[in-house]
Amino acid sequence: MGAIDSRRSAGGGYTSKVRVRDRYHIVGFISSGTYGRVYKAVGKNGQKGEFAIKKFKPDKEGESIQYTGLSQSAIREMALCTELSHANVVKLEEIILEDKCIFMVFEYTEHDLLQIIHHHTQPQRHAIPAVMVRSILFQLLNGLLYLHTNWVLHRDLKPANILVTSSGAIRIGDLGLARLFYKPLNSLFSGDKVVVTIWYRAPELLLGSRHYTPAVDMWAVGCIFAELLSLRPIFKGEEAKMDSKKTVPFQRNQMMKIVEILGLPRKETWPGLVSMPEYSQLQSLVLHRQPSHFHRGSSLEGWFQSCMKNGGYSASSNTGTPGTDGFDLLSRMLEYDPTKRITAQEALEHPYFANGGPISANCFDGVEGKYPHRRVTQDDNDIRTGSLPGTKRSGLPDDSLMGRVSKRLKE
Amino acid sequence: MAANYWASTQRRHWLFSREKLADVRERLRERDKAAHSQFPLPDSRLLNIYFNQQLIKLGKRMSTRQQAIATAQVYLKRYYIKNEVRQTNPYLVLTTAFYLACKMEECPQHIRFVVGEARGLWPEFITPDVAKLGECEFALISEMNSQLIVHHPYRTLSELQTELTLSSDEVALAWSVINDHYLTDLPLLYSPHVIAIMAIIIAVVFKPAHSGSFSSGSSQPSLSSSLREGGQNMLATLSDKLAAGAPPKIQKLINWLAESEVDIKGVIDCTQELISLYEVWEQYSEKHCKELIGRMVKSKNLDK
Repeated sequence: MGAIDSRRSAGGGYTSKVRVRDRYHIVGFISSGTYGRVYKAVGKNGQKGEFAIKKFKPDKEGESIQYTGLSQSAIREMALCTELSHANVVKLEEIILEDKCIFMVFEYTEHDLLQIIHHHTQPQRHAIPAVMVRSILFQLLNGLLYLHTNWVLHRDLKPANILVTSSGAIRIGDLGLARLFYKPLNSLFSGDKVVVTIWYRAPELLLGSRHYTPAVDMWAVGCIFAELLSLRPIFKGEEAKMDSKKTVPFQRNQMMKIVEILGLPRKETWPGLVSMPEYSQLQSLVLHRQPSHFHRGSSLEGWFQSCMKNGGYSASSNTGTPGTDGFDLLSRMLEYDPTKRITAQEALEHPYFANGGPISANCFDGVEGKYPHRRVTQDDNDIRTGSLPGTKRSGLPDDSLMGRVSKRLKE
Repeated sequence: MAANYWASTQRRHWLFSREKLADVRERLRERDKAAHSQFPLPDSRLLNIYFNQQLIKLGKRMSTRQQAIATAQVYLKRYYIKNEVRQTNPYLVLTTAFYLACKMEECPQHIRFVVGEARGLWPEFITPDVAKLGECEFALISEMNSQLIVHHPYRTLSELQTELTLSSDEVALAWSVINDHYLTDLPLLYSPHVIAIMAIIIAVVFKPAHSGSFSSGSSQPSLSSSLREGGQNMLATLSDKLAAGAPPKIQKLINWLAESEVDIKGVIDCTQELISLYEVWEQYSEKHCKELIGRMVKSKNLDK
């Protein structure tokens, strides 16, 4: 179908007024996901700068690409990114709808936290300097506070989604799972059964909570904080896959990883625990393992101390140290009870930031050494390629109601 | 900002003065004079009543929430200030607005299901091809510059409910007044707060003697006459009520209005707009709208 050359027709016929290739030159391919692919581009025709273009792939029906309706996550990301504006949230330049595809044009960011953490494990492990961790965390919380005060839950915070510019500014990226939480029409659970990549998923989500809150994002920030210090995911569980009936399984292994470090959650310190849908699963978890393993309390402090030792974090070293304030903040982020978990606002006022001098808006300030540039490959730099192999975004199925509705239609 | 109206795209890009709105529409008309004389359509408010009834029919079959219908109505308004209605198949546009609004308001419906339901209602105007709706979705999003988050007066109403100690009847009446304002240009002219306050004043001050249930649909029949009597000069009515020893609730509302920095002139203007809506409503004929739109779509082949 020659959509580009056909004139704008009646009845909703659509031809883009702006064309991606007129405005951007594609330099290479960055990454792909269930949604589509991300390309690096430079501006053309007077448009200056570098950009990351996220292309949402349309569904294929048979051989030709058809309009099949945009996914809800694409709609959310487009609407939210258009509305939001903050120094620590990824900046959207424009959205182009062309050739049955959506192209979201973002500012280009040279790094992300996943890549930075990875760099610190090569060729051997060397800790991320404490000042840098502090600046990253402060900027991340600042962006998150902005999202939360605007009633936006991110719901997929993880190192890969925290972008870093070449001048050391943190930008929260990938709002594909983000949504507004002001008086939702339906409980948040009913919309998306599974949110947040498993390693960063808060305990209340693992226990099946229906009405979750911004606290789920704060748990993820706690996990990211821990990972910046130890260079490994703190709770690296294995995900139980959905069964054929599409029921959401209890994530036993992930829950165990948390329990191993934080001890069992107890109803004395988390009163809401007993009303969690998966509470019985949690109890069975206790019965099936050696009880002695569970009855000790939290060993987070032990985890932290060995992390300090392994990373060479100390006041006298070049690496510096997050200190006891850093530990206190971490433990408040990894608080079981979501109603007691520290908020973004409180975290920004925590002694970890208040004490210990100024915080640079450039997380690379005073840090020696360079980070490698983002990998950009040449194997696919034709942004208009129709067929796209997507890597599966683990645990994050597209949240359309397709399964349910198509079943209803068949009945 | 997503949840902050003052920084929102709605306030920055979709709020117009009456003059600006008239100007935009006049330019649309100028561009297509022939179609205008060949295919006369009813008053835009009557057309809106018709579109709204169709949206409600569509929504009922899928048990959708009022807020999604309201968002769909706003999308229609935005689309039709940039596109002449006579160049479109309104049945396709309103089905698409509904489909998109459901996703945005977090009560998504599958595209096949929406097309199936729409075909059940308007078989002559909706083809079974879902790609048509998908294509129209692109047009809608593009014309709205992806600015899809809509702020509604319902939120202000529920926030003020406790503060102004509104009864459930009053809230229900105010709610239905808000439903009705989507039939006018008010969503393009005033902020949701001003609309909500107008609805509350109408509910409290002009509440009809025997209030029935307003929880769904319009308040047109019951409000029309009481508004016409007292609403033309709202300030006079208010001061009459005060002089007559206003009930504590009205007193409280008046005090609250005085203290808040609400645009009172705007509120009055909104009330007038609603009164004239209820007047125009009496000429409404579903059959007439259906015929005119049907003839236009068919003779211009807009459904192809």
